[in-house]
Amino acid sequence: MKSDKIIEEILCEIEKHEGVMSRRDAMKFLATSPIAAGVLAGSVTATEARAASNATGKILIVGGGLAGIATAAKLTNMLSNPDITVIEPNPKSVSYQPGQTLIAGGVWQKSDIEYKTEDFVPKGVKFIKDSVVSFDPINNKVKTASGAEISYDYMIIAMGLMLNYGAIKGLEGEITSLGENDIVKKKVGKNGVYSIYFADGAVDTYKGIQELIAKAKAHTGPEKLQAIFTDPDTAIKCGGAPKKIMYLTHERLVEAGVRNKVEMTFCPSGDKMFGVPEYHTAILEQFKQRDFKWEYKTNLVEIDTEKKMATFEKKWLEKGEYDEDLKEYTMVSMSKKVEKKYDFIHVTPPQKAPDIVGKSPVGSAKGWVPVVKETLQHVTYKNIFCLGDTAALPMAKTGGSVRKQYGVVADNLIAVMEKKDKLPSAYDGYTVCPLITSIGTVMLAEFNWTGKPTPSFPLDPTKERWLWWLLKVYALKPMTIYGMLSGRA
Amino acid sequence: MKKITLALFAATALLLLTGCDNKPKAEIITYKYTPAEVYKATCAHCHGDKGEGMAEKKSPALNKKTVQEFEMDLFDVKNGGLGQSTASEHDVMEHNMKKLAEKGYTYDTKAMAKYLFDTFNITK
Repeated sequence: MKSDKIIEEILCEIEKHEGVMSRRDAMKFLATSPIAAGVLAGSVTATEARAASNATGKILIVGGGLAGIATAAKLTNMLSNPDITVIEPNPKSVSYQPGQTLIAGGVWQKSDIEYKTEDFVPKGVKFIKDSVVSFDPINNKVKTASGAEISYDYMIIAMGLMLNYGAIKGLEGEITSLGENDIVKKKVGKNGVYSIYFADGAVDTYKGIQELIAKAKAHTGPEKLQAIFTDPDTAIKCGGAPKKIMYLTHERLVEAGVRNKVEMTFCPSGDKMFGVPEYHTAILEQFKQRDFKWEYKTNLVEIDTEKKMATFEKKWLEKGEYDEDLKEYTMVSMSKKVEKKYDFIHVTPPQKAPDIVGKSPVGSAKGWVPVVKETLQHVTYKNIFCLGDTAALPMAKTGGSVRKQYGVVADNLIAVMEKKDKLPSAYDGYTVCPLITSIGTVMLAEFNWTGKPTPSFPLDPTKERWLWWLLKVYALKPMTIYGMLSGRA
Repeated sequence: MKKITLALFAATALLLLTGCDNKPKAEIITYKYTPAEVYKATCAHCHGDKGEGMAEKKSPALNKKTVQEFEMDLFDVKNGGLGQSTASEHDVMEHNMKKLAEKGYTYDTKAMAKYLFDTFNITK
């Protein structure tokens, strides 16, 4: 897929939504802009200048989501004789998950995010519709659900993660964003309990917001309706989503003229809005402007869907004895259960690595696959790499992180295949969170492990902008689907 | 105005999709103390001279963890959680670390992880 295909897709996205700008205007700009021409020329040269590697070996990629397919495509582009197999059970594994917030916000439909994996498997790559059930890294082979044994010389693990709704008492199920979800839907997606973390859940969340609006319109009396938004104590994919859905719900309530009848509270397990101080401060300000409430260190542990009561574990530190050695007061960790009545609750589920990999010899005590966080090489097995949500990496479970990881994996794997001593590429923890702050504005929070903003553009990254809304709604999907899945951007 | 927005939008899209990086170079941070000095001065009286931990201070042992586990744990301790609003798994130590950092006892995560593993690990 060439860059012009991506531009074509961006134009199509713009065209779908009338009134943003005309296709002719956009085309004219793209054709005449010296920046556009320069960047395109640069990218083409860079791609062509790279000599293909003659390294050989059987590469097995476990998982055909965004990370797995993008890596397969990149390796196909970089190797002169690629031998790549991808195992993936879900026929729609490459669907565009970042669109789930927009579905819940009523901006997109579910059909806008669904993509068939078979359309994106690179030419020459063997695709097996199956799932791995056990790993044997000593003997370089895996077993699949259908009973097949597949051996490999090199393996890339990109299995994503599991949405563990069942970890919350009163809810059930452990699912993926686009797989079977009947068990979770028994309790989630109705009666005020919603969750955008799976696509059908996002569709239901939109309905849930409409129900909340209807309820608010009929509501009388001094007490406000309660809308709660949670954020669990495990690593999660898209760290911004628990807040994005809050902003979108707020926007729809304002639009309907009932915002004053609903109290909106954010209940995260942690004690901040963002690990990067600049973004934390900006979000806090946005919360105050919208009259959002928040309670830190308040982690959802139980929901009684009959009584519409949520139970949280609230934690705090209490001053203990003075420690002569430390020259400080010691701190004691305290906790208690707190109940909150809700009319609407958005649940961000606890998340975990799939047990199949997490509890296997390639997993770890915490499940996530342990890698050297810069090279993405497995800490024990040098012929295994891991990227995406499955990898044990701080702050890096987003498509934007994968965009920076898959090239690193491809470069370093080829170095291993070429028997080089040194791995050439390093991931720096880059992540991007296009934080939707309203229908029409986004704060483009880019950052890495230095804990500082790392903006790609000379614009204040703490500001909400229409420009980034355009990027989020019209450009990021074509860039991901046609740029990343073909291994080119 | 519309034209400017359009221009920025298109430039943005192109820059992003071609992966152009114009980020400033990472600044070089210098540390006042070596990981060994930090450990002796601030960690040892709770985690032990051999990283064996102390039950009475609720300080976990450090002599069985891998470099990778140390890196994740230390990142969590220094950053206060591994996500945007996710709780730290080490809330007391996160607090202590802030106090220690104020006194100059901070460190490079990777260097400290390597020091702890090389010095104390008994499972090697």
